[in-house]
Amino acid sequence: MEHSTRHRRRQLRQLTAALPFLAPWLIGFATLIAYPFIASLFWSFTSYDMLSPPEFVGVENYRRLAEEFVRGERFGLAVWNTVYFALVSVPLSIVLGVALAVMLSWNIRGRAVYRTLFFLPSVVPAVASSVLWLWLLDPQAGLVNYLLTGAGLSGPGWFNSTAEAAWPLAWFRGTWGFGSKDALVLMSLWGVGNFMIIYLAALGDVPVQLYEAAELDGAGPLRRFWHVTLPLLTPVIFFNLVMGLIHAVQAFTQVYIVSEGQGAPAGSTLMLSLYVFLAAFKYLEMGYASAIAWSMFVLIVLATWGLFRSSRYWVFDPSGARL
Amino acid sequence: MTKREWKQLVAVVALVAVIALALRESASSRVEIPAGRSEVVFWHFWGGKDRPVVEEICRRFNASQQEFFVRPIAMPGNNLDLKFFLSVAGGDPPDLLNQDDPIVADWAHRGALVPLDELTSLTEIDELSKWLFPAAREIGSYNGRMVALCNGLDIRALYYNGDLLAEHNLSPPKTIAELDHAARTIAPPGDASLTRYGYLPDPRRLWSWGIVFGGEFYHPSSGHVTADSPQVIAALDWMASYSRDYGADQVARYRKGDQALPGAAFPLLEGRYAMLMDGQWRVSEIAAVQEAARKRGEAVPNYGVVPLPALPDGRKNAGWVNGNFFVVPRGAKNPRGAWAFMKFWSGFDGHEDEAARACTAGGWIPASQHVVEQPRFQEYLNRHPMFRTFVELAASPNQRPTPAVPGAQFFQDEVTRAAEDAIYRSLPAEQALTEATRRIQTRLEAERDAPQ
Amino acid sequence: MRRSSPPWFVAHGLLIAAASLFALPLVWMLLSSLKPAAELAADPHRVFPREWRPANYLDAVTTMPYFQYLLNSLVLCAGSVIGTLWSCSLAAYAFSRMRWPGRNAVFGLLIATMLLPWHVTMVPKFLLISELGLYNTLGALIAPTFLGDAFSIFLLRQFFLTIPEELSEAARLDGCTEWGIYWRIILPLSGPALATVALFQFVAAWNDFSGPLLYLNDPARFTLAYGLEQFVSSYSSQTNLLMAAAVLFTLPIVLLFLFAQRTFIRGIATSGLKG
Repeated sequence: MEHSTRHRRRQLRQLTAALPFLAPWLIGFATLIAYPFIASLFWSFTSYDMLSPPEFVGVENYRRLAEEFVRGERFGLAVWNTVYFALVSVPLSIVLGVALAVMLSWNIRGRAVYRTLFFLPSVVPAVASSVLWLWLLDPQAGLVNYLLTGAGLSGPGWFNSTAEAAWPLAWFRGTWGFGSKDALVLMSLWGVGNFMIIYLAALGDVPVQLYEAAELDGAGPLRRFWHVTLPLLTPVIFFNLVMGLIHAVQAFTQVYIVSEGQGAPAGSTLMLSLYVFLAAFKYLEMGYASAIAWSMFVLIVLATWGLFRSSRYWVFDPSGARL
Repeated sequence: MTKREWKQLVAVVALVAVIALALRESASSRVEIPAGRSEVVFWHFWGGKDRPVVEEICRRFNASQQEFFVRPIAMPGNNLDLKFFLSVAGGDPPDLLNQDDPIVADWAHRGALVPLDELTSLTEIDELSKWLFPAAREIGSYNGRMVALCNGLDIRALYYNGDLLAEHNLSPPKTIAELDHAARTIAPPGDASLTRYGYLPDPRRLWSWGIVFGGEFYHPSSGHVTADSPQVIAALDWMASYSRDYGADQVARYRKGDQALPGAAFPLLEGRYAMLMDGQWRVSEIAAVQEAARKRGEAVPNYGVVPLPALPDGRKNAGWVNGNFFVVPRGAKNPRGAWAFMKFWSGFDGHEDEAARACTAGGWIPASQHVVEQPRFQEYLNRHPMFRTFVELAASPNQRPTPAVPGAQFFQDEVTRAAEDAIYRSLPAEQALTEATRRIQTRLEAERDAPQ
Repeated sequence: MRRSSPPWFVAHGLLIAAASLFALPLVWMLLSSLKPAAELAADPHRVFPREWRPANYLDAVTTMPYFQYLLNSLVLCAGSVIGTLWSCSLAAYAFSRMRWPGRNAVFGLLIATMLLPWHVTMVPKFLLISELGLYNTLGALIAPTFLGDAFSIFLLRQFFLTIPEELSEAARLDGCTEWGIYWRIILPLSGPALATVALFQFVAAWNDFSGPLLYLNDPARFTLAYGLEQFVSSYSSQTNLLMAAAVLFTLPIVLLFLFAQRTFIRGIATSGLKG
């Protein structure tokens, strides 16, 4: 009894000591995260336009979402576009990031220069890079199609096209090509420098003895990469997978600019993040927009949860500790 | 970063800030408001060569009286609706807005606008209503009330490259069949290496062609969306025939670049098309190109414009019309000043000559026949015969605006999306429009039920 | 370090090929920004300008109020860097150097907030900030940074954890308060981590597009990121001016990066590795 009171009193003292340090963040959490989080959950069950008070409509907004999803209309399209973009851009950026990092870990001169060149595009602001890529990928005047045509290939429609290069069924339909979402993927790959730096740092942490041991066992460079480097990189790959997915689902600035703010052409760049925005501020349906935003949140949580669940099968962790 | 680098960095940033501050001060052109005048904060969407014209109108207004002082703020059009709505919601709106999106009904429905009859007497509103072109009156009205003052109309017609048509022994098309024939003569389907087309459809123009084909998108008395009426379907199917002939992806690739935001070059002048639907604002661009050629002593290129081609026994002089309009948001601090300025610009209440001056400077179509009749404007028409085609179309009863229903923005976007699906993605026109109609109808009914 | 590499010509060949692909867009942006409009329209694929036209830059800064935007951007960046450093270092201190009940759970909550898309909080946050009278001021964008953000707190916490606990203990024995330890021991030892957070926040504020899009309506208060987008929509046909404006917008960040490359890279590596 005596002990537990003292224990409690100590805890209280600790809390009062920590509270002033935590105060700014706690206020921020309460006002800018917790309250808006709950408010938008509530609004997702209302019809609301910001000017007059919200009116409760039950699950109507979610029913509409389900209907649009099933019919493959706006919301369905937005989910598809978002998933497509995330599932194509994140794995590719991991492959490219690892490849560049491995190349940079080679023992050669001028690595700092190469590193700078690879990294530089990732600090180019999204507004500027969007403008730049719109110009580079213009089907008529753009440099990329000019080079492709010069190489005897027919230039894709890029931002002007609804084609989807990673959608296998398009092969059979004969409509295969690189379209607007693929152009966005290309843009995101250009900015892969962030990921690359993380891999590069992780590669530096790989004990050299492991390579030497593998070499003594007669493993060639490819096998050494596959059996030594890659497993040791998996924790970092996992981290980048999670962060990359969260970012890809929320991608907004570049999508807004290349799609003329409306998902052009023919809704092929209408991502969830853009749809929330349009529903709220173009069609003035804050309630419906809240429902879309919440579904986006659920999508992110599910994807993160799935990744964590899967991590035990493929993420290598020598200490056996959970991430 | 070492401590030294860190200090250097802060020093550099501070230096840049000081330089920016100095340069901003020297370049600052912010006009001081004269004493005793009340400021009218005026947002507008005009850019490019129109912006100086707008600033000149404001200057003349400010010089014309002693009570108000208009401060123009240019806001490019693509985010303007968002900015405006948020400024009302955020409690810091401008006093007056001028732009051209079909969103008056949406805002009025939500009570974001001050109806004009709160700014002046009903008698004056009646006079204004009679003074305006019918299309202009319709653009500014919602539920039988004037909520916006339309100050100029945008009319579309078919521009053509006369030299190209002559090369193929063609004359400017008067009917859809003639248009089809000319387009396919100039660019024979099946040729994959085409770099110039006779004509290609633009999904945003389904509104125009639907009206030309005799369709209605909305039935006001029953409240039914009729974007799936046979005439509109026929119009879209006709537009999609170009995709069938030339390939949907090719049409998409060729077209979308032209739709870039205001200020984009006119593809007709780049020689990419023989015929192209566009608005009256291209007249001055064509005139400039012709003038430049004349100065260089080269052959003057021949361009012309005709009303949209019609079906046999179909609607003549038809098309979709929109307009620039003034609205006063709820919460505006100076609604009286806003009203005075919008009358000055539009020409109502004795300012017709002033409006004619503005319209000739900007190449704009007035919102009233009274302005058209001004000597100054007539003289302009004599100098620009192409412009006369547009002004004559402005008075045509077959020029129809987007229906003034809540959710009009959604309505317009859905119709355009259906056209995109049919033209770029080869969806059957009937299917695309039936689905769009259902969605718009549902949305409209939800809007009507919503609290006002 | 002994690490196997392919023969040097293969290695350089691959690296040069990859590096040119990454550099090409930037070079193209730079070259396009120096061409006259007519040349760009007539022959868009020509690499080097036939006629160099640096005046594009002059046109770009006079067509839009570049220096006004620049100043606003700098105010925003400075304000949000200060806000972030202040609020996040405090919270990170509590999460790493102090013991209190529920710490791990609250830290878990902090990390979980990173999963929340900003779209969910967008509208309520807007109304809240308008209520406070901050709508249409840079304060709407700066004030929230004084209330902490999960990523920066996380980054600083990771660094604070590496500082030996004995230092704090010794200070406590000398009668130093927690504030004293925070201010006199931890912060001075955390220069590199604070620099990293400051840089990241600077870049984030510089690039912020959705913030000004939602909260600013007076062009006199626009930042460069938003001003550039406005420029795009008004002058979309003048690619040369557009590219010049984009260069002017990108250049400061590129210079900042070149200047503080090590700090950037260390920060990124830390945030990725200690996850």
